[in-house]
Amino acid sequence: MAYMHIGKDFVPPDVPGKVTGRIKYAEDYARDGMVYARLLTSPVPHGRVVAIDSSEALAMDGVYGILTADDVYPDGEPQSPGLKVLTNEPTLMGEPILAVAAIDEKTAENAIAAISLTIERLPFVLDPLDSLQEGGANAYNGGNTFIFRQGFAEEKWTADQVESFKSGNEPTAEALQSWEYGDLQAGFDASDFVYETTFSTAGYPHMSMEPRSAMAYWENGKCFLHGTSQSLSAIAEPMAAIVGVPLEDFVFINEATGGGFGQRARAGSIPSMAIPAKLSLKINRPVMMRVSREEEFTIGGARQGLQGWIKVGFKSDGAMAAMDMYCISDNGGKGGGGDANSAAAGVSALYQTEAMRFRNTSIGTNTGHRGAQRGPGENQIMAVVAPIMDKAAEELGLDRLEIRKLNAAQNGDVSGPRSTPFTSAYMPEALQQGADQFDWEGKKGRSRQTNGSKVRGLGIGQGYHNAGRSGMDGIVRLMPNGRLQVHNGVGNLGTYSYASTSRAAAEVLKMDWENCDVVTGRTDRHLPITSPQDGSNSIFTNTRTCFGAAQDLLAKMKEIAAMDLGGDVADYDVDGSRVHQIADNTVGLTYAEVAQRGIELGGKFSGESDLPEELNTLTTLSVSRLAGSALMGVYHDPSHSDNPPGFTVTYTEIELDKETGKFEILDMVTIAECGTVVHPQGLANQLRGGAVWGIGLSALERHLYDPQNGLPASSGYWQSKIPTYLDTPAEIGTGWVDLPDPENPVGARGIGEPSMGAVSAALNAAISDALGGHLFDTAPVTTDMIINHIAGISEEAKPLAQNNFRG
Amino acid sequence: MPATSHDVMPDIELYQPTDEANALDLASTLGDDGWIVGGGQDTYGWLKDRNKSPAAMIEIAQIDAWKGVKETADGIEIGAVTTLTDIANHPLVQSKFGLLATAASKVASPQIRNVGTLGGNLNQDARCWYYRRGLDCYRAGGNICYADSPEGLNREHAIFGASRCVAVTPSDTAPALVALDATMVVASASGERLIPAQDFFVGPDRDIVNMTVLNEGEILTAVRLPNEWANAEFYFEKVADRNVWDFALVNVAAAIKVSGGSISDARIVCGAVECTPRRLEAVENAIRGQQRSEDLANQVAAMSTEGARPLNYNNFKVPLMENLVKRAIRG
Amino acid sequence: MGEIVRYKRDVWGEEVILGVSWDLLWVVAVAVLVLLAAHAIIMAALANKKMDKPSSEGRRVLRHETIDRLFHWVMAASILTLIATGVAPILGLRIAWLNIHWIAGLLLTFVVVFHIIRSLFWQDFKSMILGPKDFGEPFDSAQKPGKYTFEQKGMHWAVTVVVLAVIATGILLFLQIDSPFWDRTNSMAEDTLGLMFLLHGLSTLALVALAATHIYFALRPEKLFYTRSMVSGWISEDEMTANHDTSLWSPKEAD
Repeated sequence: MAYMHIGKDFVPPDVPGKVTGRIKYAEDYARDGMVYARLLTSPVPHGRVVAIDSSEALAMDGVYGILTADDVYPDGEPQSPGLKVLTNEPTLMGEPILAVAAIDEKTAENAIAAISLTIERLPFVLDPLDSLQEGGANAYNGGNTFIFRQGFAEEKWTADQVESFKSGNEPTAEALQSWEYGDLQAGFDASDFVYETTFSTAGYPHMSMEPRSAMAYWENGKCFLHGTSQSLSAIAEPMAAIVGVPLEDFVFINEATGGGFGQRARAGSIPSMAIPAKLSLKINRPVMMRVSREEEFTIGGARQGLQGWIKVGFKSDGAMAAMDMYCISDNGGKGGGGDANSAAAGVSALYQTEAMRFRNTSIGTNTGHRGAQRGPGENQIMAVVAPIMDKAAEELGLDRLEIRKLNAAQNGDVSGPRSTPFTSAYMPEALQQGADQFDWEGKKGRSRQTNGSKVRGLGIGQGYHNAGRSGMDGIVRLMPNGRLQVHNGVGNLGTYSYASTSRAAAEVLKMDWENCDVVTGRTDRHLPITSPQDGSNSIFTNTRTCFGAAQDLLAKMKEIAAMDLGGDVADYDVDGSRVHQIADNTVGLTYAEVAQRGIELGGKFSGESDLPEELNTLTTLSVSRLAGSALMGVYHDPSHSDNPPGFTVTYTEIELDKETGKFEILDMVTIAECGTVVHPQGLANQLRGGAVWGIGLSALERHLYDPQNGLPASSGYWQSKIPTYLDTPAEIGTGWVDLPDPENPVGARGIGEPSMGAVSAALNAAISDALGGHLFDTAPVTTDMIINHIAGISEEAKPLAQNNFRG
Repeated sequence: MPATSHDVMPDIELYQPTDEANALDLASTLGDDGWIVGGGQDTYGWLKDRNKSPAAMIEIAQIDAWKGVKETADGIEIGAVTTLTDIANHPLVQSKFGLLATAASKVASPQIRNVGTLGGNLNQDARCWYYRRGLDCYRAGGNICYADSPEGLNREHAIFGASRCVAVTPSDTAPALVALDATMVVASASGERLIPAQDFFVGPDRDIVNMTVLNEGEILTAVRLPNEWANAEFYFEKVADRNVWDFALVNVAAAIKVSGGSISDARIVCGAVECTPRRLEAVENAIRGQQRSEDLANQVAAMSTEGARPLNYNNFKVPLMENLVKRAIRG
Repeated sequence: MGEIVRYKRDVWGEEVILGVSWDLLWVVAVAVLVLLAAHAIIMAALANKKMDKPSSEGRRVLRHETIDRLFHWVMAASILTLIATGVAPILGLRIAWLNIHWIAGLLLTFVVVFHIIRSLFWQDFKSMILGPKDFGEPFDSAQKPGKYTFEQKGMHWAVTVVVLAVIATGILLFLQIDSPFWDRTNSMAEDTLGLMFLLHGLSTLALVALAATHIYFALRPEKLFYTRSMVSGWISEDEMTANHDTSLWSPKEAD
């Protein structure tokens, strides 16, 4: 299908600002009289604040005030999981206890140093298995796990049960969460190759480049919050609720965010933004709260670690007949995360497992707050499963690509516990396209070839995430000057989807992009509600809304034209500047004229009446503030059915030096299967960005907490080893299948998360290949692990250790 | 002490002398209260995290007399305030002492090398994360080591020479300079002394709070490389988790003189395995008179790790060190 | 004067004792020098009163057996070694002091234990006991002591207390570091650790003062014959009768 905009590159409106440095992030804003807040954070991993003596601090020159947990929660802190704004009962080291506002940051820090904090130390725990074991400490005050709708609870295994699991056996305790489908036993009975192992994947922090600083001020009872978030309109109402102000008195400003990977999309993940808001209200001055790197590590979220057992069965032709997976998920210090569930569902999606059983128990530890991190569950499990696929191929005498093609998801397939159908799926095409671009046939013979101390390894990785939602709203305006304004509530976390989804509206109206404005960046620009910008959903969800809103606008344009110029709506069409009769295009109105008519007519045309019934509160509010200003398209997107997937495939070749444990990525190709491609450059960015981080998951990144005292080692960029330029290949080949999905008006689906998982999977598979098929059953696989394996040094790490991973 | 507040540099009296006498005077007057700073790439981390709070800083980055590379009668002399980039790119260093050029080019990242100085790299403090966090451990003047405990996270730490403290030397240029038999020129208000590179660094058994033998009031002003090892066969390799912006897990610097087909003399030094650069004299002795070859390398590699005492998580340094020594001898 | 105790922050930021302030080393050194110098000066002034020193010629009596002299000198050497190696890092001397320090400490421990057992079961323990009567001895020139004078007993017991404190705290500290016999466990709470360092430091300072005092008196002209007896084992009958009550102490003849 030939589109005007869809599938073409363009310069998103934020790019010039980013290149010149003029674009503003939360920390770049200033207001008259603004003061600076710094945080006093918990020095212990688990404690209870007994007394705070801030008298000396408050008496200092230049100190304006202090905000404590008592100020935020006068009726007591909520006894539920999740980050608190401030707390007197910290369950992780570094958790904010109070904030001090002063004339400058230095004074604020000096004031903090003058505060005397008496804190009662409580028992802490860093490894879920240590807490699970009878007698082990509980990370939370009410227990070591949280049961949805019930509250905190304590879950314990016997010492023998824990020991048996650590020794490599299937856990015998009943899990708190489970589902299954198909006939598991029959699946294993039919299997010619069964692989069973315990595995562990490390949790590690998001470490977004931009810390979650925020600035807030109040004007005439309205709160203005300059913050940092993946989302924009989605965060308005819940953030207003945390700040404690009605939605209509709350403005959230966020033109650009420096990196968001799942823990910056929802208000519950960023309650710290309420600190400057509440402090500002208390001291009656604008407050800038800059968050440091160490603080961002603590409250910025981390991936759930998994300690698991997996058993996979393959039939003689390579079909994945059965998988049984049991996980212990690390819930960190504040609870949260559904990684294990998604991991299992992800395997089901990618490999079309015929029968599956999933079991999980989530246990808290006094370590980084956990929640969704790019492909939560799916990405880390694929790094474990990809080498298993290769092992199966080797044992069954199959080609590694063929076994994947056999199991690949295609149109008509279903996945997950509820056997949800895909909206469309072209995994075999993606696999083949990648194979061709990478030259799998030509290169696969190089597997395990040596050259001195170096050995080659090849890997194929696949990634998946559900990539689309629906039920959101759209607003477009045709202005009296003929310009199209697309009101887009999508947050700008650097993916450009706020702009690329807007292009769907321009497409409907055949409008030149130069005549379009994307209205976004602050909620007082009157934006429609959208889903939070997580879960790879934005492209799918918001092309639907922008397209739908533009269609509503188009219908109204034709209706006005028919009204004014005669005939039926069906007699009219648009050409990008005029709405005209199809039979005689001299008869028509310019876009400017029809817009003016819309304003004159009022009513439904200008957003003053007959709005869709199911419009969200925020959208209704926005429309009400825009009403009468333009010819408006207002749309509520009905729900779609089935699962729109985002798929990726990565091929890679590495050369591993057996003397140093280091490897070089010689070649890497990633193919996206995400429906119609809306913005090729944006997609290529996502694929490459995901690849960089996939290298981190695969080989570098992990939490480190000292077991004896709970101190985090990985709170800075030395021990949080995100990949550098020289750790990533200079060129990463990209490509896309670009076949349309029926559940989206332009055929698009999302892709953000799987682009990381496929790379980790491919890389871990390549490392295993280079080492003769040795499976580590772990992510990351670090330099020292490789050295130890080659040297035959038995593992120093305790089996399944979490959060002190090979310190 | 671990600051109750972390972040935001405290108030410091900054001195920026432009001539040597002034700088040495200040160093003498201020003594331990005067923190010497070159490019600041080690300093600012401490200050920003509020884990060290000197009353005063003496910035010597503007003292031209301590910058530059010059040829001397019997070698070259490098001003301690010369940046690592300048050293890595300098024709004299590259042509005669490529070992140092390579080592300097592997330090940290390009941005850090552009302002970081040789003196700073040699005097840099240990990177043990417990120590860097500001804990009052032995190295900070305290009475405990957190890294060398039954569960301590000591993956990057020492396999030799531990004496309560198990930190390692993080410098990449230090092993190279020891291999090149360099001499450190140390100045103070009362004169100058010359210290062989190998004796410049000190382990916790003799001084647990300092990494070098610099006394109060002293400043490293230059490094002299004798022609003795010029144009020898050099080998430098640094193995780190990341390929840039990371500290060595183990590094090796070797200078080997070959004449008549066999090794006439050798210097092999490893970093990041001990608190000081570790010169492998036993290996040097074993290869003297032999031909460089894979066989020779394999024969002597195990000697390099004799006496190693790994900790909880750094066992891998033993085979890694042996392999690097092998590679250095093999060439 | 400076402080007495140094503080640090423990791993969770709480202020705890770090150890003794080594400013006190200078205080002790100066105080001891001043006091001993004063003593020497006063004694020199009082020496106008000509007191005949007893003769070292003639019959010799056994004061200290060989094994006890050996114990004394080994103890002296180990204590001096302990002090030297302990003080070296404080003075900023860059020597590898720790291994010598604990080896000397173990040696001291061994000989002290040996001495305790020997003195309890093989020697005349009562001869060292300080009773209320002994306190009159310095003021009554007619009252002569048994084997040991009041000052000697006082020094002995002062050293006993201090050395036992040094050894006990020293052993506890030794258990906290790596040694050829064990790896450190970091099991002692940091506040307790600091207290041990403080007590070790205070008892060390006391030991320095006592050792200096002991050496001073051992070298004093009027006491020198005691020192000779610790080297050669004997004092002369003259020296014995001049300084001791022979009904309380009747040693056998020396070989």
